[in-house]
Amino acid sequence: MPEAQKARALVVDDAGLVRAYYRDILERHGYHVEEALNGVEAMEKLLQASFDFIILDVNMPRMDGITFLKTLRRQALPLASIPAIVVSTESETHDISDARAAGANHYLIKPLREGSLVQYAALLSGKAA
Amino acid sequence: MNSPDPATEQEFQRLCEFLYRRTGLLFTETKRYYVERRMFERMSATGSGSFANYFARLRSNVNGEVEQLINALTVNETYFYREEHQLQCLTSDLLKERLKAKPRGQGIRIWSVPCSTGEEPYSIAIWLLENWPEVDHHHIEIIGSDIDTRVIEAAREGYFGKRALMRLSPDLVAKYFIDLGDEQWRILDSLRESVRFTPVNLAEPGGTGLHGKFDVIFCRNVLIYFDDASRRAAAENLYENLEPGGFLCLGHSESMSRISPLFDVCRYSDAIVYQRPLETRNA
Repeated sequence: MPEAQKARALVVDDAGLVRAYYRDILERHGYHVEEALNGVEAMEKLLQASFDFIILDVNMPRMDGITFLKTLRRQALPLASIPAIVVSTESETHDISDARAAGANHYLIKPLREGSLVQYAALLSGKAA
Repeated sequence: MNSPDPATEQEFQRLCEFLYRRTGLLFTETKRYYVERRMFERMSATGSGSFANYFARLRSNVNGEVEQLINALTVNETYFYREEHQLQCLTSDLLKERLKAKPRGQGIRIWSVPCSTGEEPYSIAIWLLENWPEVDHHHIEIIGSDIDTRVIEAAREGYFGKRALMRLSPDLVAKYFIDLGDEQWRILDSLRESVRFTPVNLAEPGGTGLHGKFDVIFCRNVLIYFDDASRRAAAENLYENLEPGGFLCLGHSESMSRISPLFDVCRYSDAIVYQRPLETRNA
């Protein structure tokens, strides 16, 4: 697929291994992937280029995923409406409802199998899985 | 254990010319660090106090020194996925055991010492990405340490030649390295960020305390170069740097039971490893 037609994903996670893991899965399924290490860097990337969806970790230094989401949803359109999948090791009900309240479209629990990442990425980018 | 001074420009040239005439192997300036390191190992093994002294021994080929040096230069260079069976053992057994033993949510710490120019710690990172589907679920910390600050700098930079990558499939090379042309590759930034590099002297009593405790330590092919006293100091450091129940992986030709009674031997299907017992043993 030509680069220009690919759906664009922003992977936000402070762990390099996790970013490399998601990047590989998404690239193999035809997505263009950019990476950010925390919420601050993610916001910078979003202001520079457009993205179709965001994969977002919760526990990160400098700006955690929930704070980032709240900030994102307060921006002007169309920035505020970029869909986000929150991926976390936390599985308590309040973690999930906090993320929902902050504006998460989906909440997935690590470890994330390739199949579910691809399925949700397709859902949010409007691409057939 | 102190490293000898680097060879002078002239000394290095003389050695390279000699090697070229005798063997046809051409070592250029880019290989300087590597050649020196091997030469120092041979100097210390033969008790040669100076370059001049060693070079005289080499020229008259005392006890087959030419062959010894050539072996050191051609056999021991490290590369990605060296002793792959231990990496297999890491994902099929060691990590599972450690996760079972730890409170939920606590991360996994892996130490590669000595890490040389980074092939081993980066191999561990790539191996986990390829073979451990829970890689996003646990906080994984990989640290590479070496006594030599020059190799640590090189490891952080993450440039590798063809020989270092020879055991990786073309797919893995394309996936985790940027091809710079001229048979040079650079490892991806996300991998460079996922390994931390620090200086350490393994043979100095108490010299590794600041690194904290690890779940798995890879310490391959270094104890063989130490004398008895350094080896014991290194064994005690490794013990102190392991969590109770943590694992130590040595090179395939090395044996800890000959060095120290501190560890238990564990046999898994892919490798023999050493374990720090859960309870402190009475000496």
